[in-house]
Amino acid sequence: MSYHIIVVVREVWDTRDLVGEPLGLDGVLKPLPRRFDPEDLNSLEQALQIKDREGGSVTVLSVGQPGEVDVLRECLYRGADEAFRVTTDEDLDTGARAALLAAAIRRIGAHDLVLLGVSVPEGENSLLAGELAGRLGHAQLTYVDSLTELVPGQVTCRREIEMGSEFVRLPLPAVLALGVYLLKDDPRTPRAAKAMLKLKLKKAPIPEWSAAELGLAGEPRRMRLAGLTALPQRNVETHDVDAGSEAALAALLRDIR
Amino acid sequence: MTRILVFLEHDENGVTDLSLQALALAGSLGGEVEALLVGQSLAAAVEVALAHGAAQVLTVEHATLANYLAGPVSSVVAAVVTERDPVLVLFQASTVGNDLAPLTAGRLEAACLVDCDGVERAGNSWRLLRTEFDARVRAAYQPEGTGPVLVTLKDGVAEVRATAGGGDVIPLDLSPAGGATGEVLRREVVKKTVNLKDARVIVGGGAGVGSRENFALLERLAEKLGGEIGATRASVDAGWVSAERQIGQTGVTVKPDLYIACGISGAVQHLVGIRDARTVVGINSDPSAPIFRVSHYRIVGDLTSVVPKLIELLG
Ligand SMILES: Cc1cc2nc3c(=O)[nH]c(=O)nc-3n(C[C@H](O)[C@H](O)[C@H](O)COP(=O)(O)OP(=O)(O)OC[C@H]3O[C@@H](n4cnc5c(N)ncnc54)[C@H](O)[C@@H]3O)c2cc1C
Ligand SMILES: Nc1ncnc2c1ncn2[C@@H]1O[C@H](COP(=O)(O)O)[C@@H](O)[C@H]1O
Repeated sequence: MSYHIIVVVREVWDTRDLVGEPLGLDGVLKPLPRRFDPEDLNSLEQALQIKDREGGSVTVLSVGQPGEVDVLRECLYRGADEAFRVTTDEDLDTGARAALLAAAIRRIGAHDLVLLGVSVPEGENSLLAGELAGRLGHAQLTYVDSLTELVPGQVTCRREIEMGSEFVRLPLPAVLALGVYLLKDDPRTPRAAKAMLKLKLKKAPIPEWSAAELGLAGEPRRMRLAGLTALPQRNVETHDVDAGSEAALAALLRDIR
Repeated sequence: MTRILVFLEHDENGVTDLSLQALALAGSLGGEVEALLVGQSLAAAVEVALAHGAAQVLTVEHATLANYLAGPVSSVVAAVVTERDPVLVLFQASTVGNDLAPLTAGRLEAACLVDCDGVERAGNSWRLLRTEFDARVRAAYQPEGTGPVLVTLKDGVAEVRATAGGGDVIPLDLSPAGGATGEVLRREVVKKTVNLKDARVIVGGGAGVGSRENFALLERLAEKLGGEIGATRASVDAGWVSAERQIGQTGVTVKPDLYIACGISGAVQHLVGIRDARTVVGINSDPSAPIFRVSHYRIVGDLTSVVPKLIELLG
């Protein structure tokens, strides 16, 4: 049995090594380095593994022009079959992005799964999966750790919840937001780009659709960023404690008790 | 009169604490506070809602709603929002609320924001506050246009408040929209027996602990310090410790005076749960582990030798 999977991908600000003041003097966030959203990369890997195992196709979709990383091309280099970009020249809110993606997904046509990433907190809000599923009328599951069974017409997933997890079966097509938690040497670790595909697809055209081409007149903005203020940073002064010195450990215990 | 609708989460332990915080916040915003309970056998939860500031409690009871699942529950919530026409709908920033609110917003094409840590009135609208970028900035959002605004709220938005009680209960005759919606096959959750939130000392163990036997070492250290054991998702998944002790994004948020992180790398999903720890001690064999960026004391070493030494020194 083969499955048609759509993976929705993007690049995000890399907040891993933020140091210093987050805002410039103008009160605007300083530009940060960007990377392929790691959660989306995990979702892509899940899709590719299903294709490797069961056959079918993987289509990738993104909204907006590439910044530092061309995520769509990176997907092609890893084995995605087709890529589409939705172009816009505005900064959209999540609802508007979901409307564009829903229209693009309808244009792509029949599919079994739509995969997205569940974002990490603190800086990105994981709204899109729901906003998209609501517009498409598909079943939805978020905080998905793994797909435990995929058979024609239905998927079973393990979903992370407070105090444990649950196993949920959904009819297809379904929208899944994956927060894949990788263990050491996890077989779900994303594959690297393949040099051969890079050579072959470096210049491959990626079709672009504008909102108008998707039949949308422009979605109203419902949520506007009205301001940013820097938060006082907790200054952690780190003291090194020599693990091999009993005296140092004893001093530590005196300090902290 | 502005109406604020609060979706309440409840489980076998009753209405969740986050839900009661949302009720308290709604009360502080002024207006008519309505609570919504969806599920089965809701009588006890109704009483709790009435005793925490709900002027009205709307209930939707249906056998297929007994186990939370986004599709059917959101079809009911969307119908209630359409019928009651609230200006603001509050949910919890949990794996239920962050799942339900965006889907409901998608159905209604309404404004939505998740993970807010504050809501204020701003004229006829709202100012929604959210901490972003690894707690470096506070962002303020302004909903635009007409229609309800759906928000999920993080732990700590308000103090839970008991009120005089009274108020009406309005059972709504709604059932989930038809069609194939799926099924919760089973849940593997543990019963809550510890209160990590109020623990003064927590010894946290991660994948680096390596085994259940080594975890027993951490338990001894915690015992000597009069503290509790906490864990990362990795050690919960490994089966060394119960899920109720998971700290972080999908676990609990803690604020101990002392947090000793043993064999924990310091992934953002874990760090969000220990942000308010007063003093952090990191024990990790990798000198560049991210946990050291938030550690007041940095012990680079093998925990299987460091922890026994600490226990010994504590006598
Ligand atoms: C949607 C989602 C939600 C999540 N929610 C949570 C959550 O709520 N809580 C949570 O904790 N995680 C959560 N995670 C997982 C999180 O991303 C990390 O994977 C997890 O926190 C890592 O756990 P760890 O630090 O124990 O393991 P690792 O990252 O594997 O780190 C182990 C550390 O131990 C050190 N070590 C190894 N051996 C020794 C030794 N002998 N002595 C000393 N140090 C040693 C290593 O150097 C390493 O730094 C979530 C993930 C996702 C995708
Ligand atoms: N501009 C975009 N283009 C494509 N996918 C996106 C875009 N924005 C968000 N997504 C997808 O939606 C997920 C959650 O995004 P967010 O709700 O913005 O945190 C991401 O992990 C992506 O899979």
